[in-house]
Formats: sequence, structure tokens, C-alpha cells
Amino acid sequence: MKRACRYKKILDRLPTALAIVLFAGAMEVVGRYDFSLFLPRFSTIMRTLWNLVMVGPLWEAILRSVDSFVMGVTPAAVGGILAGLVLGRYPLIAAVFDPFIGFIMSAPLPTFVPVLIVLFGVGRVVVLLTVFLFAFFIILVNTRAGVEGTRRSLVDMARSYGASEVQVLAKVYLPSALPSIATGLRLGIINGFKGLIIAEMMLGLGGLGRLLAQYANVYLISHLYAVVLTVMGMALVGAYVVQALDGLFIRWK
Amino acid sequence: MIVSAPMRSQVRPLGIDVRNLSKAFGLVLALDDVSFSVRPGEFVSIVGPSGCGKTTLLKIIAGLIRPDQGVVEIGGLPINGPGPERAMVFQDFALMPWATVLRNAAFGLEVRGVPRKEREELARSVLAKVGLSGFENYYPHQLSGGMQQRVGLARALAVNPQILLMDEPFASVDEQTRRILQDDLLKVWADERKTVVFVTHSMDEAIYLSDRVFVLSPRPGRLVRVLDVNLPRPRSSKETRGSVLFAKLVEDLWEVLREMQ
Repeated sequence: MKRACRYKKILDRLPTALAIVLFAGAMEVVGRYDFSLFLPRFSTIMRTLWNLVMVGPLWEAILRSVDSFVMGVTPAAVGGILAGLVLGRYPLIAAVFDPFIGFIMSAPLPTFVPVLIVLFGVGRVVVLLTVFLFAFFIILVNTRAGVEGTRRSLVDMARSYGASEVQVLAKVYLPSALPSIATGLRLGIINGFKGLIIAEMMLGLGGLGRLLAQYANVYLISHLYAVVLTVMGMALVGAYVVQALDGLFIRWK
Repeated sequence: MIVSAPMRSQVRPLGIDVRNLSKAFGLVLALDDVSFSVRPGEFVSIVGPSGCGKTTLLKIIAGLIRPDQGVVEIGGLPINGPGPERAMVFQDFALMPWATVLRNAAFGLEVRGVPRKEREELARSVLAKVGLSGFENYYPHQLSGGMQQRVGLARALAVNPQILLMDEPFASVDEQTRRILQDDLLKVWADERKTVVFVTHSMDEAIYLSDRVFVLSPRPGRLVRVLDVNLPRPRSSKETRGSVLFAKLVEDLWEVLREMQ
């Protein structure tokens, strides 16, 4: 039974795998005709990727990027959830901050990177702040929506049994908002990763974004593609992690 | 707030005195100078057309809403917010969808700081009392409406209150389930002798359950009539509903309500 299930899963993925193999093969064939500088052979890209990993710049860049990402996203998650709880629970406070949140969220976020550079100089802190900004607001807004969607009668119920304000927040609003918080975290992680690459490209202070910019500038095409593949791969892994997180959050459904 | 777990032994029921309650929402006068007393251990229903403020009245007694004027006294003492001697049962059951039946039933005790072992033991015993043994680890959405409200009732009974406040608790279950729940409630009430204030819009339900029925008029909500229900107890669907007196009382109540239209 279980084994049959596993086979079925593999079978389901077959078309996707086949498509990827075909695509790589086509690239290989086209690459062999030296059509264009911008269409290197697939095998060349893979060899370059291997070399980059072995020689070092890619590892170093990955580690640095992951480090910046975690350092930016963690406070964004904690802060976003807390701020979302407060704004969702206390409309008066929300009314004060709403114009600013709307203002920031209506502009494309990369707009603020130059502002951060002016404020803090070209430094790593700008990368971290960019990741934070990209993730924070989307987590806040989703958490808040979840809190505001909490059933009124559940709050009344908790209060009728004598729950304190902290208990109502922790035992009613927070669990009620968890599905929305999970959505917010998923979007925040995806968005934070975007912010990371953008900031690294603009600042050139290391990380994958900088490698991308660097290789593109000197037309090291297969190097560039190798890094692009790495970034895509990391995003995919991230998506899986977040999905697992999602399941954990809303087990009861 | 930490209190010791209530004993399952009998508690002395408390009376409720409502004095000159008024409450407005914006320009709408929901309650206008409402006064009445509920005797210790009495079963009282509040009926009236929708919009007569009966739920507001119940929430004021629960301490969830502050009145603009007037006081509610329980056992002779004015209330100031919710208290451990009262427990409320909600129309939409107000069960936490993320928590199991057991945790839902134990929630009142959890909030009051009763240790896990103790509160789960208490919750199991009240769940058994309302006929939900074996469902402890289910989630609310896996239960029927009637069973969900049994969890709501179990949660209220678990804190062993002297006063049960019930806000149209059986309004959203089907008729046969509703009759079974009514009988079960009467059984629990006969066992535990609690003071009950029961809001409903069903005339049949009000008469069948209550010692007295309070009729509220809509906008502004005023107490317009008190009906004594001197049907003998214990009541049963067959004997009570089949009696001439029951039919007459329902008819009387209908007269009162029709005059208000």
C-alpha cells in the first residue's frame, strides 16, 4: 500500500522531470552550434557551477547570503507578528500607523534601498534592513488580518471566563490568526529573498546578488547562469521548507 | 487569577437582581429601565422579538458589556465584569476550532489557572455528564451542531458556576436534537440546581424549560410581562407538551408577543 503510493508519487513527477531533461538537452544541442554567446551549453554551465562550488566564491557567497537573509528575516518575522497582533487588536493604534504602512506598501520596495544607503552608508546593515523591510510589512499585514478576523464570540467567551488581556491575546487571537500568520511568513520569506538579492546587487558587498552583478558586467555568461541556477535552487528549497511550516501551523484543519 | 479547582459538590445557587438597566448603542435604545429579580436556583427565560435587546441584557449580566445606567447584583453584591460564579453558553457555541473537545471543555479552568491534570480530569467528567465520553480528542468541526453545543455546555459546567447564562443555545440545531438537548439540560439543572437565565426566541422552548418567562419589547427593550409557568416538574416532552396547561401557556405568551407587533 505504502510502496504503491510512493511509486504513484514518482510517476506523477515524471512529466516534470522529463520536461527538465528535454530542456537541458535542447540547450546542450543549441550550445554546441555556438549560436550565441548568451546560449552556452548546458554541460558548460554545470561544469562552471561545479568549479565555482569547488573553488570557493559560490560557497562563500551562499553562506553570506543565507546569513544576511536569516539576520534580516528573523526580526521581521518576530516584529511583524507582534506588530500585527497589536495593530489588529487595538484599532486606535492601527489608525495612527495606517497611513505610514499604506504609504510604504504602495511604493515598490526597491525605492527605499537608495534611501537606506543615504541614511546608513554603504554597509551590510543596509542589506539586512532591506531584507527586513521586504519581509516585515507583508508579515504584519497578514497577521493583522488574521487577528481582525477572529470571531467576536470567542473573545467574549474567553473574557466571560475571566481571561486577562494577555490570555485573550495568547489563547484566542494568536491561535485564531495562525493560518494567516503562516501565509504572511510564506510571503515574507519569498519577499525577503527578493530584497536580499536586490540589495546585494545594488551594494556589491558580497553574497549571491553581488556575484550575479559581477559576472553579468564582464559577460561571464555560464558563470552568470550557474549563479542564477543556484538562486533558483535556493528559492525552491525555501519554498519546501515554508510549506512544511504551513502544515505544522494548521494541523487541526 | 489563580483559584482552587471548584469542587463537584453542590454549590449554593445565587439570585440575580437587575435594577434599572439602560443601555444605548448610538441612538438606538437597546434596554430601557429594565428591572427584575431571579431567585436562587430558578430557571428563567427571556423572550422577545429580535432586536429587543435580550442578548445585550444577558451580556450585561455576564459582565461583558457595561450598562449606561443601573446595576446587576449577584447574591446581593454588584458585579464589575465577569466573575467565577457565572458561566455563559453561546449561540454559535464559541468553540475554538484549533483545540480538541477536551481542551475546549477545560478552557474555563485553563484560564483560571487550574493545573492541567486536574482540569482535564474535571473536563472528562463533565463531558461524560453531557454524553460526550469518547470524543475528548475530536476537533469541533468533526462533531454535529448538537454535539458542539454539548461541549459548550460542558465547558460552562466544568467551572461549576452558580449561575448559567445561556444565549439562544439551541437556536442553530435541528428540532429533534433541540428537544433532546432541552431534556438533557433540565436533567443537569435538576441535578446541580443552578440559577439559569435562558435567552430564546422560541415560545415553546421558553415555556417547556422555565419557572418564569420574561417578555421584552423591542426598541426600546422594556420588560413588559412576566409569565409564571406552573407546570409540574420533572417535565417530559410527552407529558408536558401534551398537557392542556402547556398549550394554554404557549397561547398566552403568543398573545403577549402579538400585542407588541
